[in-house]
Amino acid sequence: MSSRGTKQKKGNVTNEQEEEDQPLQAVLIADSFNRRFFPISKDQPRALLPLANVAMIDYTLEFLTSTGVQETFVFCCWMSNKIKDHLLNSKWCRPTSPNVVHIITSDLYRSLGDVLRDVDAKTLVRNDFILVYGDVVSNIDVSQALQEHRHRRKVDKNISVMTMVFKESSPGHKSRCEEDDVIVAMDSKSKRVLHYQKTQGLKKLQFPMNIFQHGSDEFEIRHDLLDCHISICSPQVAELFTDNFDYQTRNDFVRGILVNEEILGNQIHLYVTNEGYGARVSNLQMYDSVSSDLVRRWVYPLTPEANFTDQRGQGCAHSRHNVYRGAGVSLGHGSQMEENVLIGRDTSIGANCHISNSIIGNYCTIGDNVVLDRAYIWNNVHISNKVKIHQSVVCDGVLVKEAVLLNKQCVLAYNVVIGPNMSLPEGTVVSMHHPEEEEDDDDDEFLSDDQVVGNSKDKTKQKAFNPAEVGSEGKGYIWKASLDEAEDEELAQCIWGLVLNPDPDSDSESEASDGSQDMGSRSVSPEMDDVKVFQLEVLGTLQRGEEENIGCDNLFFRLSCSHQLTCTVCLPPLGGQLLKKWSPVFKNYIKRAQDHLDCLSAVEELFLEQETHQTAMVKVLMNMYQLEILEEDAILKWFSAGATTDKSRQLRKNQGLQKFIQWLKEAEDESSEEGE
Amino acid sequence: MMELQAILMAAGGGSRMMDLTYNTPKPLLPVGNKPLIWYPLNLLERVGFEEVIVITTRDVQKMISTDPRMKLDVKMKLDVVCIQEEADMGTADALRHIQQKIKTDVLVVSCDLITDVALHEVVDLFRAHNATLSMLMSKAHEFTETVPGQKGKKKNGEQRDFVGVDGTGKRLLYMANEADLDQGLVIRKSIMKKHPRMHIKTGLVDAHLYCLKKSVVDFLADNKSISSIRGELVPYLVRKQFSKSTNSPKIKDEADQNLKGKDVSVNPEIQIWFRDEKLLQLSQERSCWNDHRGDMGEAYHGGRLRCYVHIMEEGMCYRVNTLAAYIEANRLAPKLFEEHAIHPSAVISERYLIGADSIIGASCQIADKTSIKRSTIGMSAVVREKVKVTNSIIMHGVTIEEGCNIQGSVICSGAVISRGADIKYCLVGSGQRIDPEAVRTNEVIVGTDQLMEI
Repeated sequence: MSSRGTKQKKGNVTNEQEEEDQPLQAVLIADSFNRRFFPISKDQPRALLPLANVAMIDYTLEFLTSTGVQETFVFCCWMSNKIKDHLLNSKWCRPTSPNVVHIITSDLYRSLGDVLRDVDAKTLVRNDFILVYGDVVSNIDVSQALQEHRHRRKVDKNISVMTMVFKESSPGHKSRCEEDDVIVAMDSKSKRVLHYQKTQGLKKLQFPMNIFQHGSDEFEIRHDLLDCHISICSPQVAELFTDNFDYQTRNDFVRGILVNEEILGNQIHLYVTNEGYGARVSNLQMYDSVSSDLVRRWVYPLTPEANFTDQRGQGCAHSRHNVYRGAGVSLGHGSQMEENVLIGRDTSIGANCHISNSIIGNYCTIGDNVVLDRAYIWNNVHISNKVKIHQSVVCDGVLVKEAVLLNKQCVLAYNVVIGPNMSLPEGTVVSMHHPEEEEDDDDDEFLSDDQVVGNSKDKTKQKAFNPAEVGSEGKGYIWKASLDEAEDEELAQCIWGLVLNPDPDSDSESEASDGSQDMGSRSVSPEMDDVKVFQLEVLGTLQRGEEENIGCDNLFFRLSCSHQLTCTVCLPPLGGQLLKKWSPVFKNYIKRAQDHLDCLSAVEELFLEQETHQTAMVKVLMNMYQLEILEEDAILKWFSAGATTDKSRQLRKNQGLQKFIQWLKEAEDESSEEGE
Repeated sequence: MMELQAILMAAGGGSRMMDLTYNTPKPLLPVGNKPLIWYPLNLLERVGFEEVIVITTRDVQKMISTDPRMKLDVKMKLDVVCIQEEADMGTADALRHIQQKIKTDVLVVSCDLITDVALHEVVDLFRAHNATLSMLMSKAHEFTETVPGQKGKKKNGEQRDFVGVDGTGKRLLYMANEADLDQGLVIRKSIMKKHPRMHIKTGLVDAHLYCLKKSVVDFLADNKSISSIRGELVPYLVRKQFSKSTNSPKIKDEADQNLKGKDVSVNPEIQIWFRDEKLLQLSQERSCWNDHRGDMGEAYHGGRLRCYVHIMEEGMCYRVNTLAAYIEANRLAPKLFEEHAIHPSAVISERYLIGADSIIGASCQIADKTSIKRSTIGMSAVVREKVKVTNSIIMHGVTIEEGCNIQGSVICSGAVISRGADIKYCLVGSGQRIDPEAVRTNEVIVGTDQLMEI
C-alpha cells in the first residue's frame, strides 16, 4: 500500500509540473450574441467600441495577459474581419507579446455554446482555461482563484468543473448591472454554488430544499455579488457543452450543472474578491458606469494615461481632478474642465465651454459655449456652438449643429447629423440605419453573406429624413427597437439597460402571510375587461363540468350570474352533443324573450365565424327547439328580424334553415289550430 | 431602576424525558447534585440580578420550600408565581399571566438551560440596537455518551431549524423549521436587498433565553392567540421586521392617534414598535451612523422592529430536555462550579477509589473497596462494599448493595440495587428494586404504573 501511495504521489508531482509547464489558456468571445448595442453595433462590433478611447477587447486582453494567460483564443463572428484587423495591428500580435493570440472566426456561431462546442471539436484547450467575453473590463488577479480551482480539482477528482469569479458589491452600487442581478446560494465552507438565479423581476426568491441536504450546516445566500463574467473552466466544460447541445449561454450551463448535480456529479464553485474591479459592459448603462470608473481610476493600473495598448500618440497627461489631456489638445479661452474629463489627441475645444465627467475621443472639434456632462463623444465628432449634451453617447463621425440640446440617454450612432436649433427628448436613438431595414435582413447579424445583400437593399430603400426628428439639416432616422420580434424580449428593453432609476422601493411589498392589505398589487394589476374575465370563468366552469360530469344542479349553483351574459357567452364553444346533457342549465338561464333572442344571435355569431359548419346550424337549432330550450316564437322572430350584414343574410338563405323555418311555421299553425 | 426584569420559566413538565421526571419535576432533577433550576438562577445571580420572577407549578414550589435536598443556594429574592399545571399554559401564556408584575423590559430564561455564556453579549445586542428581541443560540453539540434504552446510534429524522442571520452574524433575519418548508426556502427579495449577505445556519440550538421589550409583553396581553414564545412569538417578530406596516411612518402616526383616542383594540398588532423614545429617534436621525453598507439608506432601513441573536461559537450551552442531554449535562456540570467534589458530611471509609471527576453528595455512606469514576452520587445514598460505579448518575437516597457493578446508567432516587447486580447502560426508575445478581443491559427499568401512564 505504502509503495503505491508514494507512486501516486510521484505521479501527482509530475502532473503538477506538467500543469505548471503548460501555458495558461483563455477563451475570449468577441461577440455578444445579442443586439443590445444596436444600432451602434450595426457598424462596429461591440468588442471594438471605444471605452475611454480604447477598444473594449484591449481591456479584456490586457486583463488576461496580466493575470498570466499565455495563449488566448479569440472567437469572432459578427464583423469578424474588423476584429481581426484590429488585433493584427495591436500589440497582441507582435512577436514580443507574452500572450499568443489566435483568432478563430466563423459565421456559424450563434451563442457561447456554439463556441465552446467548437473548442471541444478542435480540442483547443488541454487544461483549465479562463472564459471571458470581449467586453469585460477587469483588474482582478485571478491567480488565487485559479489556485483554488486547481486544488479542488486535485482533491475532489475533477468534480468541480467551473469557478465563477464574483466581486463583492452591495445592492445599489452603480456598477451592478440590473439585468445581471443574481442571487447565489452557496455552501459557506466549500464555496460550492448550490443555487444560481437571476433575480430580475422576482419578488420572492425560492430555494429548493434539496440544496440544503448536503451535510453542511452553514449556507450563505448572497445578493451582494457582481458577476464579473469571468469563469475558470475545466476542459470538461467544453465537453459538457458538446454533450448538451441545448446549452446556449453560461447561464444554461450553470443551471444545467446545478440541476443535474446528483446525476452527473459536477459541481460549480465561486470565488469572491472584495478588491479589484470586474464588470461587463452589457448595456449602455454599464458603458456609462464603467467609463466613469475608468476615468476615476478604479481599474488601476488600467488608467487612461497608462497607454497600455502601446499605440503611438495615445498617451495623455493626467492632472488633478482626473483631467486627462491627449497630445495636441487645444482649449479655448474661458473653457473649464471641471473633473473626470478625458480628451483624446488633436481635439480642439472652443471658448467658454463647460465640461465635466465626459470622455472625448480623438480628432474632434467642439465649438464655443458647449456644455458637456456625462457625455461620451467618440472620434471625429464635430460639435458646433451652444450645444448641450447630458449623459449621452455620440459615435464616430457625428455632426451636431448649433444650439442642439441632447437630453439624458440619447444615442447618436455613426455619421448622424443633427440640428440645428432643436432638442432631442430623453432616450432618443438616432441612426443612419432605417429601423425597418432590420426586419428585412433579420439574420444579417449572423450571416455576413446576407450583410452585403442587406447593404444593397439599404441603398434602394433610402427614405427621406424627417426634419422634425433630426432637424432641418439633419441626417438619420429615429431608431426604435422592433418590439414584435420574437427573438428575445431583451430587444424590447431600452438600449440604456433595463432600469434607469433604481427599483421602486420594495418596501411597498407587504407580506401576504400577515394578512395585511396589499394596496399596491390591486392598483398595479391591469384591470381586465370585466366581461372577458367573466367569460373565461364561465368557460372554465363549463369545461370542468364537462370533464368531471358534474350534475346540472351544481352547475346552476356555479353559474349564479347574470342571465344574458351566460347565454351569449357560453354557447359558442359548446358542441351539439352537450346540448342535451345540459339542457336544464340552458333552460334555467334562457327564460325571458330577450334571452331567447340573445341566445339565437350568439348561435348566429358562432356559425358566422365558422363558415364550414353552417349546415350544422339547423341541427343545433332543431335540437334546442326539441329540448325546449328555445321557443318557436323566438326563432321565428329572430329569423324575421332580418339580417344586419351581408354574411348573416347569406346564412339565412341556407336551404336547411329555410326548411326548418318553414316547418316551424307549419307546426305553429297546426298547434294553434289544435288549440282552437 | 432595574434595566431588565428576569423571569424564569420553570413550569415545563419535561415531556421528552418522562422516565426521569416521573417522580421529580424537571426543574428539580439533580444535575451534579444540584437541582436543574439552580443553574439558570446561578447564571442570573452571577451577572448581578437581585430579583427573579419564577414561574412554576405548585408541586415544585412545595418541594423547594419543604424538601431540604432541593434547597436552592441562591441569595436573590425569588418571586415565585404558581400556575396551574392542568391549564396547559405555554411560555407566552405564562408571560401574559404575570403582565401586571412587569415594569421594564424582560429577560426570559428557561429552567433547563445550563450554560457558561457571557450573558452581557445577549443584553448588549439588545441595548446597542434598541432591539425588540435578542436571543441566545449555540452550536449544537454531539452527545457522546451512550443513552440507556436507546437502540441504534442516533435518530437522524429530526427536523432542522433554518436560522438566517446577516453578514455580521447578529441580526436575525429568518427563522423556519424544515417541516414548514415544503415549498422550499422562500425569502423576499426586498430582504435580500437590505441584507445582501445572509448566512443560513442549521446546526444551532435555541437556548430559550430571550430579552424582550416591555411592549412585546403588552402586545401579548392584547393578542391572546399566541401561546408559546419559541413556537409563535419569535417567528412572528422575526417575520414582522420586514413587513410594511411595521416600518411605514404613516401607519405609525395613525397608531399614535389610535392610542390617543384610547382605541387600542382596533389594531393590536401595531402596539409593539412605536414606543421608541422620541429622543432616541431624534438622535438616530441626526447621526451619520449606519448599520449597513452599500446603499445610502437610513440606519436599519427605517425598520423599527429588530431581532438579534447571539450565537455561541464555543463554550457550554445545553438544554436539558432529553435523557441524552441530561446525561451529558451531568458529565460536564461539575466543571461549572468550584466546590469540593466530596461533600464534608459524607461518610467514607478509608479504602476507596474515587476519581477526581466524581461528585459525592452530602451524608453519603461509601463503604470499603469501592471504586467510583466519572459519576455523581446523590445525597444520602448508600454504597456498600466492592461496588464499582462508572460513568453513572446515582440520585438521592439510592442504595447499592455489595458487589454491584454499575456502568453508564442513571439510577433514580430511592432505587435499591441488590447484591451483585450488574447494570450497564440502564435507566432505573425511582423506587425500583433490582434483584440480586441481576444482569441488565441497555434497558429502561420503570414501575408498571409509570408505563401505563406513558
